[in-house]
Amino acid sequence: MITVTSARKNYGPFAALDDVSIDIPSGSLTALLGPSGSGKSTLLRSIAGLEGLDSGTVTIEGRDVTHEPPQRRGIGFVFQHYAAFKHMTVRDNVAFGLTIRKRPKAEAAKKVDELLEIVGLEGFQHRYPAQLSGGQRQRMALARALAVDPQVLLLDEPFGALDAKVRTDLRQWLRRLHDEVHVTTVLVTHDQEEALDVADRIAVLNKGRIEQVGDPVTLYERPANDFVMGFLGSVAHLGGQLVRPHDIVLERDRATALALDAKVADSPGVIDAVVERVVPLGFEVRVDLRADSGERFAAQITRRDAAQLHLREGETVHARAVARSSVVDVDPALAI
Amino acid sequence: MRVSRGTRLSLRVVALGYLFVLLAVPIGVILWRTFEPGLSEFVASISTPAAKSALNLSLLIVAITVPVNVVFGVATAIALVRGRFRGRGLLQAVVDLPFAVSPIVVGVALIMLWGAGGWFGAVDAAGFKVIFGIPGMVLATIFVTLPFVVREVEPVLHEIGLDQEQAASTLGASGWQTFWRITLPAIRWGLTYGVVLTVARALGEFGAVIMVSSGFPGVSQTLTLLVHSRYIDDHNTYGAYAAATLLMGIALVVLLLMTVLDRKRSDR
Repeated sequence: MITVTSARKNYGPFAALDDVSIDIPSGSLTALLGPSGSGKSTLLRSIAGLEGLDSGTVTIEGRDVTHEPPQRRGIGFVFQHYAAFKHMTVRDNVAFGLTIRKRPKAEAAKKVDELLEIVGLEGFQHRYPAQLSGGQRQRMALARALAVDPQVLLLDEPFGALDAKVRTDLRQWLRRLHDEVHVTTVLVTHDQEEALDVADRIAVLNKGRIEQVGDPVTLYERPANDFVMGFLGSVAHLGGQLVRPHDIVLERDRATALALDAKVADSPGVIDAVVERVVPLGFEVRVDLRADSGERFAAQITRRDAAQLHLREGETVHARAVARSSVVDVDPALAI
Repeated sequence: MRVSRGTRLSLRVVALGYLFVLLAVPIGVILWRTFEPGLSEFVASISTPAAKSALNLSLLIVAITVPVNVVFGVATAIALVRGRFRGRGLLQAVVDLPFAVSPIVVGVALIMLWGAGGWFGAVDAAGFKVIFGIPGMVLATIFVTLPFVVREVEPVLHEIGLDQEQAASTLGASGWQTFWRITLPAIRWGLTYGVVLTVARALGEFGAVIMVSSGFPGVSQTLTLLVHSRYIDDHNTYGAYAAATLLMGIALVVLLLMTVLDRKRSDR
């Protein structure tokens, strides 16, 4: 368990962490998700000891490490830009922590071979980082961090510098690795899809504060506020409320819409809107709409529903939110 | 931009011609004059007692200057790149001072500081000869060569950033271990080049050193001072050529040695 209590960190007048407290359970894979400048990296780096806190404490597995240097925190850290030791071979990179700890040569060599096999870099022992691709370098960095048997593994936007295909592959791979190794893992990302994909817990940060912590389903379905809702997936403005585009139903008949809507608690009501554009997205169809109030929003409906509705540009339809959808009132101060 | 064949050729001729006239010809003339009377003449000229003593003195000054500049140069570069302290801008400017100040001024300043009646004149009075002794020549050489290591290492430190060092610290390496195993290997090319420049300048320094040297042949003449005195005072033109060739030879050997050593180390 990692526990951060009342952490504060200022850079001049800018509050990177503003009274942040969070518990990260042992064995979990937690994502710190937020836009740039939200404090997610600062939080991760303070857990690692690479950044000192102005106030607050950090404990790792019950041990107060607030004033310990990174060397004595029992962590493994993976950097966005790999931080490969360029003058060392892959083998020496991975063995670095063991060499520093003066482990017997044979033991270290065995461990390094095991790790290189786990990360799929066997046969690359004698290469230099410059001879590896970005994805391979990052896997080497992971093996290097795991070599010292860290209590927690901290990853700072580990796939941020990789191209889209490699990124998805690597995060699947990280998920499987975590299921095998079970080391408490904290991952920083600004990509909500990545967080939903790999993490079993997500903490959403904004402006140096934690907005909400929970499992991906809870965060997606019951966001605490419109920031969390807007950050985890797309949203539509419907009658002063935020609704997921796929939770919007379009009806041809106004009376039907009103009747069905009456059964939904806290619904934003039925909104009359003009179809501006119909965009086929494969399985689904996105319908761009303009409400009478002039507000534009999009609904995402299945292909079949779209076919039944015979939607044509310029026609008026009646939009309502389905039951049990996640709906959040728009905070006027944070209106997107 | 497309450049016509004629322009390209003439640009090349101009560039090469410039290099040839300004660099190759003077060096070529010295080499030719040196070896024209034969190798034995050259060997005889550079093995006189005065020449041997000058060679030794030059090498001694290099042997003191280089380690001092390496240690303080690397430390200064790290402070300039990584440090966040008041007066960093001032330090930046001070490091470049030796480039801006004429060497002769350095010599004068050293005499005023360390000479009899200077601020640190007590050292001289106590019998430890700084000015007109080897310490003065070493001080003068260190002064004029100070920026080389700093200025060569600094951009490399900027480029490698903090990531590798931080990664080492998360893997358990102490500050010293990180420095020896990560930082030093990463800056070694910049450092090598800084050392080569320092050696070349230390061997060739004239203005600052002549001010603080007593200039006795066989006692306090560096190779560069020997070239000067042979040519001007002794009208021994050939001797001056021979000593100059020896000087160039040493610089060349240092350059080759550093390159070979570095290649060996990175092969390992």
